[in-house]
Amino acid sequence: MFVSERMSKDLITAGPDMTIYEAKMIMTEKGIRHLPIIDSVGKLLGIVTDRDVRDAMPSTLLKKVDYDITLAKIMNFPVRDIMTKNPLTIYAYYTIQDTLLMMQKKKVGALPVVDQEGYLKGILSTRDLLRSFVNVLNIDEPGCLLCIIVKEKQGQMKRIVDIITEEKISLGSVLVARVWDKEKRAIFPYLLTNNVINVKKKLLENGFELIDPMQWYLDQLPQKA
Amino acid sequence: MAGYVDLGKIVIEKQENLMKRTGFVYDERFLLHQTGAYHPETSERLKAIHKGLENSGIIEKLTRVEAARANQRWIETVHNIRYILRFDEACISGFNEFEHPDNAICRDSFDTAFLAVGGVLKAIDAVMKGEVDNAFCAVRPPGHHAEVDKPMGFCYFNNVAIGARYLQKEYGVERVGIIDFDVHHGNGTQHIFDNDPTVFYYSIHEHPSFAYPGTGREFEVGIGEGEGYTVNSPVLPGRGDDEYKRLIMQDLVPAFKKFNPEFILLSAGFDAHESDMMSGTNLSTEGYDFISEVIMNLANRCANGRIVSVLEGGYNLDILPLLVENHIRFLADLK
Repeated sequence: MFVSERMSKDLITAGPDMTIYEAKMIMTEKGIRHLPIIDSVGKLLGIVTDRDVRDAMPSTLLKKVDYDITLAKIMNFPVRDIMTKNPLTIYAYYTIQDTLLMMQKKKVGALPVVDQEGYLKGILSTRDLLRSFVNVLNIDEPGCLLCIIVKEKQGQMKRIVDIITEEKISLGSVLVARVWDKEKRAIFPYLLTNNVINVKKKLLENGFELIDPMQWYLDQLPQKA
Repeated sequence: MAGYVDLGKIVIEKQENLMKRTGFVYDERFLLHQTGAYHPETSERLKAIHKGLENSGIIEKLTRVEAARANQRWIETVHNIRYILRFDEACISGFNEFEHPDNAICRDSFDTAFLAVGGVLKAIDAVMKGEVDNAFCAVRPPGHHAEVDKPMGFCYFNNVAIGARYLQKEYGVERVGIIDFDVHHGNGTQHIFDNDPTVFYYSIHEHPSFAYPGTGREFEVGIGEGEGYTVNSPVLPGRGDDEYKRLIMQDLVPAFKKFNPEFILLSAGFDAHESDMMSGTNLSTEGYDFISEVIMNLANRCANGRIVSVLEGGYNLDILPLLVENHIRFLADLK
């Protein structure tokens, strides 16, 4: 999964001389939280977030008269004054995993995508990431989730996949919880079918333990004394 | 003094008539939809139901309603004509599945699906004409997953959705309430009436993060004019009677009292039972009784007792006949 496949290419951008007020209007109207600032040839100069804009706006606690006076003072300032210069950027050939780790570590909500010369190519936000997760988990397609407990030893996944394949069932996704119980793992195959009886029976016949995913969750909750 | 005597008579007569006249739709032709040796939605399900009702003697107390092939124009009130033709062609061509391996078919599936719809429409006729008070339709293939132009989860034509449109167009019924207690969410029915404030869709089912088809979350409440006319109660796996009771009293009862349907259609699925391997919910036999009882009370209060209950899922052949029998006992006031 590469950034190039998941980034937004339909970009809403601004020049450095756009006023803060105009930028606020565009972001509200388009429903975006990150506005890349580019120069006249399209190279990335910085990024303005909705928080930058809000910080610059007068306090909503002010009386209307005072609010309007303050707003008049600041509304014509250009966005270059509040933008983050030289923001963190990524390349289109980065993977989604790179981006996920980067966003988590650097605590940013969106990353502009640039090419080697610094031209803006796209932007990848947490919303794009969420969409790609819905997509890889395949949960927008009809299916059922199984939860299989296996011993921590090699070849278990192959046996499970073989059984699913024998049943001619398509796999939407597989999640593995490595830390489950001591020496055990939990495998969650998402099967794109309504027909789970036979596959469940076969898994049981082959010695796998099927559990209710909820049971594990309930076991983790603080128990009443 | 004569008045007292009359009053007494009325009371006695009423007690004798306490049992409701319940229609029963069943046809051996429903067995012709063959899904292969390895499919849970098998004709054995209907055979087991029929045998169970015979053995318990209940069948004697029901009014048989004959199914007849539905007129295609009623199916077209819900499904796309091209979809209907695709289904016909797949069956004629001798394919053994229709657009997904879940949807097993044979040459007779198309006609059987027409007959299943027709069975539901005949049951509706019988109730609307006062020949019976309510009815149970032991039909297959089931219907609630079927979308406007897509078969899903063993379903081809949405029997209940077509029934709702039929009630509105043929009998001028304004408000139809659908209660779907199959363990799976009735995505087809919900989507067909998403924008429609005249058909209320309530479904209680296993939580979509775990169970097919992955829809039916609490925040799906209808769209546009239909907003507020869809209510979903997802049940987490491992939960059973208590959760069902809580959700039904909290979500279904007040919504239906407010909506005040003139007719209630049921998507009756018996696969939420603790012994059914299709699901992870743990509804007991008594839990199913509770559902039937609440629905009967609601129907008596809002819809003049008018219910047509239509079989959807239920795959454990050892428990299915008993659950259907118990459900019918509530319909017929024999419980």
